[in-house]
Amino acid sequence: MESAEVTGAHWKAMKMLDAFIKVPEFSVGTTPSEVVYTEDDMRLLHYIPLVKKPRPVPVLIVYALVNRYYILDLQPDKSVVRKLLEDGLDVYIIDWGYPSGVDRYLTIDDYVNGYLDNAVEKVRELSGAERISLFGVCQGGTFSVMYSSLHPEKIRNLATMVTPIDFDTDDGLLHIWAKSLDADKIVDACGIVPGNVLNAGFLLTDPFRVLIDKYVGLFEKIESNSDDEEGELENEETVKNFLRMEQWIFDSPDQAGETYRQFIKDCYQKNLLIKNKMMLNGKRINLKNITMPLLNVIGEYDHLVPPASSKPLNDAVASTDKETMIFPTGHIGMFVSGKSQREICPKISSWLKARSGKNSGRGKK
Amino acid sequence: MEHIIDLQASHDLFELWKNTYETTYGKIIDMPIMGPSREGADRLRKNFEAMINLNSAWAQSMSSFQSAFMEASRKTQENVEKRAAEEGVSPSSYTGYYDTWMETYSKTFREFLESRFFASDLARLTSNSMDFQKSSRELVEEIILKPANIPTRTEIDDLCKEVYLLKKKMKELARNMRTSA
Repeated sequence: MESAEVTGAHWKAMKMLDAFIKVPEFSVGTTPSEVVYTEDDMRLLHYIPLVKKPRPVPVLIVYALVNRYYILDLQPDKSVVRKLLEDGLDVYIIDWGYPSGVDRYLTIDDYVNGYLDNAVEKVRELSGAERISLFGVCQGGTFSVMYSSLHPEKIRNLATMVTPIDFDTDDGLLHIWAKSLDADKIVDACGIVPGNVLNAGFLLTDPFRVLIDKYVGLFEKIESNSDDEEGELENEETVKNFLRMEQWIFDSPDQAGETYRQFIKDCYQKNLLIKNKMMLNGKRINLKNITMPLLNVIGEYDHLVPPASSKPLNDAVASTDKETMIFPTGHIGMFVSGKSQREICPKISSWLKARSGKNSGRGKK
Repeated sequence: MEHIIDLQASHDLFELWKNTYETTYGKIIDMPIMGPSREGADRLRKNFEAMINLNSAWAQSMSSFQSAFMEASRKTQENVEKRAAEEGVSPSSYTGYYDTWMETYSKTFREFLESRFFASDLARLTSNSMDFQKSSRELVEEIILKPANIPTRTEIDDLCKEVYLLKKKMKELARNMRTSA
């Protein structure tokens, strides 16, 4: 290697080091909110409305148990929550928390008919709305579908985003792998299923891109920015944004064993939900009970929840007002991409707003 | 996918190894244990068996991964040569080579991870890993924790279940009170 090349490589390395040393504190989930209800590890957050008179039908966002809800409010300019608030919606979100050993026996029934139902009741009580909008994301969408089938009288609109419903597909690696897993052994041995084990599975779906290329991309971006003050500021933002995402990706709560067992066996392996055969505490989930307006949002390149798994929902329900929106993006891109802010969020909030006028029945205060 | 052939061969090899072990040393390990320390020794034997199964599954998985790596390297070289021959382009920079490497490795591993070999390897490795974890816990509980009068994970799990059921009952009663009020 020529001495000029050595010097060049040295300067590049110093530039990387400089970019990381200078990164100031950063935070996630910064949209102002207040905790309005807690139950065990679960918290219900109400975002402070950004308009004087928000729409009368509130929206309750239900995120997955895997990873954390704040991906929907990662940073001010990449926030699904903020977009909904700016469009005049009254937004609540469930934070499922971090299950510990004592939670290993929690079932899907406890989540859907327990925590979720209590959160819905609280939102109804606080807003005065008889029926509310549920906005379920990923596995939270699957729970929202279950809930809407069992408690249709409380739900005015149902929106799902990257939500698996028909699990009998080989389009996604998780669907292929889950079919052969022995969930009984995993739960019996672990009790609480470690989040980092599940996360390893997600990383393995595209190992070279997420474990190498992502970091190479970051270094290339830092390297390509100029050395002046403007370039330094750009680097600061680049690193901060990268670290926010990095924090979210590796913030993986453990999973309640019994919930994991039922989700793998009844959903991924037996595909009972779409067949209207899934049972929660003796009650059958019949998707035909879903008659409220339905919006099904799908990522065309989603490799975790492939479109084939989400699309069948619209045909399975009895709603007459139903719509599918497919966007050319992946699973995470649905929440944090530029397209999400420019195109996806506005369409979702328009759909919700059009159906969030004055309620017929009022008041439970 | 060409490397699948290698995967089949490595699977066959490990099956042969496992069968040979089970019909030779495995038989000695499986012999009934007698005497006052029978229970502890039996758990130790089961744990050893679980460890053998885990090591076997681990080696098999690693072998499959190794085959996929070799196939990906071979294809990367092939792609570099192809580009040089067809387009007259050779990766003169780090970036040029990196892009080809990344694209080829991602594609090759995607095929590997989608294959039935990987799904069965993963299922077997997970299953054997859980067996070993459970067996190790039972062994430690039996020969160390109980004699030392230290609470075991099994006892803690029983307590957790009691707490869970009590909380559930309490919530149900509270809900009934709310609805009847």
